[in-house]
Amino acid sequence: MRTRFLIRRFTHAALLLLAISLLSFALAQLAPGDFFDQMRMNPRVSAQTVEGLRSEYGLDRSFAVRYGLWLRSVVGGEFGISLAYNSPVGPLLVPRARNTLLLTGVSTVLAWLLAVPVGVWSATNRRKFSRQSSGLATSTLLTIPDLLLFLCLLLFAVRSGWFPSGGMASLGSRNPDLFHRMKDIAWHLFLPSLGLALATLPILVRHVRSAMIEVLDSPFMRAARSHGIPHSRLLFRFALPVAANPLISLFGCSVATMLSSSLLVEVIMSWPGLGPLLVEATLNKDVYIVVGTVMLSALFLIAGNLVADVLLFTVDPRIRRE
Amino acid sequence: MVSRHRKLVACAVVLAGVHAAVLFAGFFAPYGYATQNRELPFIPPTRLHLIDSRGTFHSRPFVYGWRDDGSGALQVDATHSYPLRFFVQGSPYKVASLFVSRVHLFGVEEPGRIFLLGTDGFGRDQFSRFLYGGQVSLLAGLIAAALSVSLGLLAGALAGFYGGRIDEALMRGGELFLGLPWLYLLFAVRAAMPLHITQWQVFLLLVSVMGLIGWARPARLVRGIVLSAKERNFVVAARGFGASDAYLLRRLVLPQASGVAVTQITLLIPQYILAEVTLTFLGLGVAEPMPSWGSLLSSLQQYYVVSSYWWMFLPAALLIPLFLTYYLAADALQEHWKPVTL
Amino acid sequence: MTTTPLTPLLQVQNLGKEYVQTQPFVRTQLTVQAFESVNLTFYRGVTLAIVGESGAGKSSLARCLALLENPSRGDIWFEGESVRNLAKNELFVLHRQIQLIFQDPTSALNPRFSAAEIIAEPLLIQRIGTKAHQRERALELMQLVGLSPDAGSKLPLEFSGGQRQRMAIARALALEPKLLILDEALSNLDRANQENILQLLDELQAAHSLTYVHISHDLPLVSRFADEVAVMHSGRIVEHKSVAELFAHPDHAYTRQLLHAMQPREGVWLGRSA
Repeated sequence: MRTRFLIRRFTHAALLLLAISLLSFALAQLAPGDFFDQMRMNPRVSAQTVEGLRSEYGLDRSFAVRYGLWLRSVVGGEFGISLAYNSPVGPLLVPRARNTLLLTGVSTVLAWLLAVPVGVWSATNRRKFSRQSSGLATSTLLTIPDLLLFLCLLLFAVRSGWFPSGGMASLGSRNPDLFHRMKDIAWHLFLPSLGLALATLPILVRHVRSAMIEVLDSPFMRAARSHGIPHSRLLFRFALPVAANPLISLFGCSVATMLSSSLLVEVIMSWPGLGPLLVEATLNKDVYIVVGTVMLSALFLIAGNLVADVLLFTVDPRIRRE
Repeated sequence: MVSRHRKLVACAVVLAGVHAAVLFAGFFAPYGYATQNRELPFIPPTRLHLIDSRGTFHSRPFVYGWRDDGSGALQVDATHSYPLRFFVQGSPYKVASLFVSRVHLFGVEEPGRIFLLGTDGFGRDQFSRFLYGGQVSLLAGLIAAALSVSLGLLAGALAGFYGGRIDEALMRGGELFLGLPWLYLLFAVRAAMPLHITQWQVFLLLVSVMGLIGWARPARLVRGIVLSAKERNFVVAARGFGASDAYLLRRLVLPQASGVAVTQITLLIPQYILAEVTLTFLGLGVAEPMPSWGSLLSSLQQYYVVSSYWWMFLPAALLIPLFLTYYLAADALQEHWKPVTL
Repeated sequence: MTTTPLTPLLQVQNLGKEYVQTQPFVRTQLTVQAFESVNLTFYRGVTLAIVGESGAGKSSLARCLALLENPSRGDIWFEGESVRNLAKNELFVLHRQIQLIFQDPTSALNPRFSAAEIIAEPLLIQRIGTKAHQRERALELMQLVGLSPDAGSKLPLEFSGGQRQRMAIARALALEPKLLILDEALSNLDRANQENILQLLDELQAAHSLTYVHISHDLPLVSRFADEVAVMHSGRIVEHKSVAELFAHPDHAYTRQLLHAMQPREGVWLGRSA
């Protein structure tokens, strides 16, 4: 039963990933121009050299052939060749992907750690605070553009000097001591992850609040309350498990927004993740890096949804029965 | 009922005002968007004074000039004052690409300058650029949102109404699109664009792709509504009179979905505006000299700008009340358009 | 009951319908049998009641009879012609002859249309007459069912439950059908309204030789106006007799159960009216 469900979800995810790869590959190849456009405009570089370089990188073959070659290189772990770095894309992506994962992972934990208590508290105390006022508060937070938020954090870093204004590790810290290195990374990680968490916080709080309210108002909760069960036990043993269902689905959805926002924060705070790499590659039309990065981010997204699905499956007996 | 309407009307008025100001940027802005004042880089917002250095009160507000204090830095020059005037003659601009006018709402006499939001590194007036930039950013948001919701309406109606294979196919397709990291995909599209296309083409392409990617969420909502509307007995009754599918969709089902469509557009516009701003900020949207709110903010990528020139943040800060108005309007619309039940 | 030969209007033979629920990637399918092996003939001017427990079977049958759904197997003939092989435009015209009236009039009326628009809608869909003509006919029909034509521009929510059901009947009559199917149409009304509407239906039947198919779970109500009764149990017709015959000599165990359940109520009525 469980294995059948997992197999279903995995096949689904794999197919989705393949479709996305085709889509992004097609998009990237759509343009009439390519990486060597700049070079072509340079009168000192002969046309033959350009054509030679093109065939070396396989840019003169047909679409299907290129896609096939690229797929093969994916399996080999190479993800194609970076035209700017003149090296396989795969090894370029791995450390960046790791950094992005670190950032988004920490931010997700932080965001949920903040959102759930605030949302639950606001739901249980909703009689004291009318829907209008709490709605207005979350709305205002919602409308602060991520861009502005990250820029303000940068300003704070630059002005106060308490936190580094960029990068992941301090220069000259070739300190092999793991503890100190981790402390350094954490110090650099603080502002970006705080920013990312704050960016996604309002929506999370809103959804947690409405999910909790729906559960708290349902008949079975009223019945439980009438039995005189103490409030805290009601909350943890009765309300939260039921609210877990929509919240886990929310988690699946929030991964997408988190990833998109992470791109921005990485660029602004100079965090060496996939974001700055993608921006640079886009400006250079470095096709294979672009495709590889899109694929990786799609992979993270799908993985996040998969985790959410499996969690839902274990937590909600109704889904198991299907 | 009354307060609901009032909220909606208030939002509509504000939004109309903003759009009018942006549409007639030539009139409301004292300067052109590309006019440089190389000798006045990074000037903070000009202060309007009513009382001069001698303590005299002037009924007409005025601004001070600037002078070089000898060391290359600029100082406020209290010896030269320029009164604020309305309906002044200034640099020419085109009104709706039809005719040329020289009248601006306000301004000061040459060589005075009035920079309501300060200037950037090239001495360009940020306020004027904000108004002109709004043309690009607001338009991007509007077009992309309209595109997304139209597609979503179509897809959702078809999926919900016909069900079966069409529904499966559309919903799986929607999942695919929802599963895409949209900002990354936008980058991929931008990377795919050739170097030699005009700014307008870049703009249209980007906006179209933004709109095309975002059809999935409105489609889902519309599909839900269509599914429940389709089973309502009065729709079944109409089928019993021999009504065609087109009739059912047109007269009975889509009106139920119209409320959702409008609310969705109102919610999506700020998101798409922000997407365009983000892209241009990163250098991947429309490029100079076409201004966009993103390009106004792009200089903030440099540390010295961030730490020393606080007024460069203002265009971003002004986005907050704008987005708030959109969200309030969407809220009011949602209340207004609760489905009609007996 | 007249002894002149009856003309069959609608005939169904071996009608069956099942609903299949498929799940992706899973082998088994869930099949729900709504009804099967239904053989019935509906004659002009005759009221046939179909009774049985509340369940999807009867409504499902009603929809198949009203040509709103396709049965899984079996045949339907209308005035001798098979319905299954009709072309689209022929089916379009056929819809004028058979109409369905729902249990809940409130959901059957478009809340955004006015009363006149609702009643004129069938004419609009079937493209009969001009807009003015349609509106005139709608007001005529309103008068026929006992609604004031002045209320033509009111919304459904401004009418009572009984009035809404009359509106639904007026609408059903707009196309001058020969067969009316009433799917528990009286169940939501109080006794007074039920009486009034039954009287209205009687008059209409006498005037236009209408055929009624009355679907109900309320046997006492049925007994007062139906000519024939078909008893439905577990998706099958288990008994089909004239009303008098059914009450006098019920065959099937289920019928006897139904009759037994209504006994005390009969006693109450008799006590009151006697």
